[in-house]
Order: sequence, then C-alpha cells, then structure tokens
Amino acid sequence: MSLALYRIDDRLIHGQVVVGWGQPLHVSFIVLVDDEVSSSDWEQDLYRMGVPPQIEVIFASVDQAAQLFSTWQTDERVGILLVGDIDTAVALAARVPQVRRFNVGGVHHRTGRKERLRFVYLTDDEAAKLRDLAARGVDVTAQDVPTARAVPIGEFT
Amino acid sequence: MAPLKGALGRALLRLFAVQGSYNYERMLGVGVGVAEEPLLRDLADGKYRPAVARGAHFFNSHPYLTGLAVGAAARAEHDGAPPDQIERLREALCGPLGSLGDRLVWAGWLPLLSGLTIAAIALGAGWFAVAGFLIVYNIGHVALRWWALNAGWTYGARVSVALHSPMLQKALALLGPAMAFAVGFALPLAARFLAVPFPRWGQLAAVVTAGLVFLALRWRSDRLNGLRMALGLSAVALVVGLIWQ
Repeated sequence: MSLALYRIDDRLIHGQVVVGWGQPLHVSFIVLVDDEVSSSDWEQDLYRMGVPPQIEVIFASVDQAAQLFSTWQTDERVGILLVGDIDTAVALAARVPQVRRFNVGGVHHRTGRKERLRFVYLTDDEAAKLRDLAARGVDVTAQDVPTARAVPIGEFT
Repeated sequence: MAPLKGALGRALLRLFAVQGSYNYERMLGVGVGVAEEPLLRDLADGKYRPAVARGAHFFNSHPYLTGLAVGAAARAEHDGAPPDQIERLREALCGPLGSLGDRLVWAGWLPLLSGLTIAAIALGAGWFAVAGFLIVYNIGHVALRWWALNAGWTYGARVSVALHSPMLQKALALLGPAMAFAVGFALPLAARFLAVPFPRWGQLAAVVTAGLVFLALRWRSDRLNGLRMALGLSAVALVVGLIWQ
C-alpha cells in the first residue's frame, strides 16, 4: 500500500494529521522527516505522545529518508510522510525522484511570511521554491483536511 | 528555582483569557505571550523583550493545558536555553497537548459529568444537579490548569517527564470508559424523563422548529452548524421557560 500522503506541516504530528487524515486513510505508520527532530530525543518523545499506540512513528533525517524510502514504499501498511518546512520538502524531492506530490497542510505565521491561505503563510522565497518544485513535475496542492478542496499551486503562491 | 512572587498566580489568571485574541495568524499565540509575561519579568534587561515576543509567536493546543507550554517556555528562558530550542519546544508541544486535552476534557471529563448530571436530573435532583455539575466540573478544570502551569514551570524543556506521569496516564485510562458508562446510563433515563406527555401544540412547535433548523442549515451551512443552532435554541428555550413560569 505504501505512502498515501506527503505532507508539509510545521506542527508535524497533531490532531489534523492523526485523526483528520490518519483515520480515513487507515494509516498504520507515520514517517517524520526532519534533520533536527531525528537527532533530538526529547522532541521525538513529545511527538510520539500525540499518536495512538497502534500507529508506528519513524523519525528520519533527509539522508536516512533517501536510503529507507524504498522500504516504506513497499510496506504493505498505509503510511503518511511528514516534513515541517519547505526546504526539507525540496531537499527530499531532489534526493528521492519517486516523491511526485506534496500536500501543503499547514505553514503558519512567522516574521516575513505573508498570508496565502488561512492555513498557509509563506515568504516570497518559500513560494518561489514551491513553484520550482511544481515546475519539476511535483504535484503541489494546499489542503488542511481531507474534506476541504485541494487548492492548486497557482492559487496560493 | 522559584518564580517571581505571585507570578504563577498572575499567569494562571491571564490564561483564562488565552483564547481572547484567537486569530488564524497566531491562533492562541498572543494569549500565550500575555500569560507568560509575568513569569519573564525577572529576566535581565536585554532578555525580557525578546522572550515576551517569542512567547507571542504562533501557538495552538487545548486551552486548559496551554499553561504547560507557558510554564515550560518561561522556565527554559530562565535556564538560558537557546532561542531556537525554545521555539522548537513550543512547536513540539502543540500536537501532544491538543490531543491530550481532547481526550482528557472534551472526550472525558465534560461528557462524563454531563452524563451523570442528566441522569441525576432525570432521577429528580433538579437544580442541585446543575449547580453540582458547575462546581465539580470547574474544580477539575481549574485544577488541571494549575497542574499544567506548575508542571511546565517545574520541568522546563524536560516537560515530557510531566506528561508521562502515572497519575495522568491513569486518568486517561479511566476517563474514557467512565464517560461511556455515564452517557450510556443517562440516555434511557433522559428518554423516560422527556417522554412525559406534552400538548399537541408543543409537538407541532417541535416539528416546525426542527424543519426550520434543517432549512437554515441547508441555506447557510458555511455560517451555521448543528451545535451552534442547538445551543442557541436551548438558551432561548431556557429564557422563555423562565419568563413563562
């Protein structure tokens, strides 16, 4: 069954991911790709806490993700791949050509970011990186929950 | 380390208004910054302002447990943690505090006590049951807020220790089944209580109201939802009932 969702969300694991997407997709594992979290025990501990015990959480750096990607892809369970920022998404897509789509699920306000959608705030630089990603054939849409419309990249960058 | 005298109490009071400045840009962020500020006043001059500003960045979680992030971030500021680590701590707390609060309060404590109260009313306890509900619910609610703020301040960046506490895990394990039992117990009692004969015009009014609500929900589904309508109509019915008596 493999990875059913590739998501950019700066809150990483939270209710919208576990319940909102996890339940309708029958997710059994979550891969969290983040260089900092993958080397921080206390952060891993906190993120694991938001997930029910029957769902496995795998932490990986971009390097590790590039190596392990094929095993997740051939896993018979359904999984979600999460990254916390645009740079990680771009780095991952560059290393792993099989990543063909990204769901922008939540990138929130920070100094320098402008509102693009209610749940998407981007700097001009980040918006340009997303357009680049799309130009290289990755399908980039914004959608916070499964019941919402998937907003095409042209409408929010 | 001891907080500034009275600072935890001030932060607790301010946390009651944490949703007052809710918006899509920062969600609870501004409220969190305001609540954290009393705990930051004894920081050195150059540290106070950036710490308060950090406190007001984007944040979202369960309102009752937000104190845990407030206490933990304030303690980490005092411990001299690097700014980006404090930002990461805040980000990492949003998810777990949200899901913990949902299970503990919205799917536990609140429906548990609601079920018991409805059952008590159906068995004839009347307004005493309502008063009891308000008192007991809020004892638990305020105790949870106070525990969260203290645990955050005590553990700082190591706050996951507090979230692993056996007491909390036991509460989580007990509240779910207890809630299911209370609601299951209340439903048949409430049905019998409500099934007292009521006049033809009352039945007609109920059918017409249900029809109007259905149409209103179809018409403005973007603005209205079932819960808001039900709460609004219940409030109207309560007022009309009191005047009519």
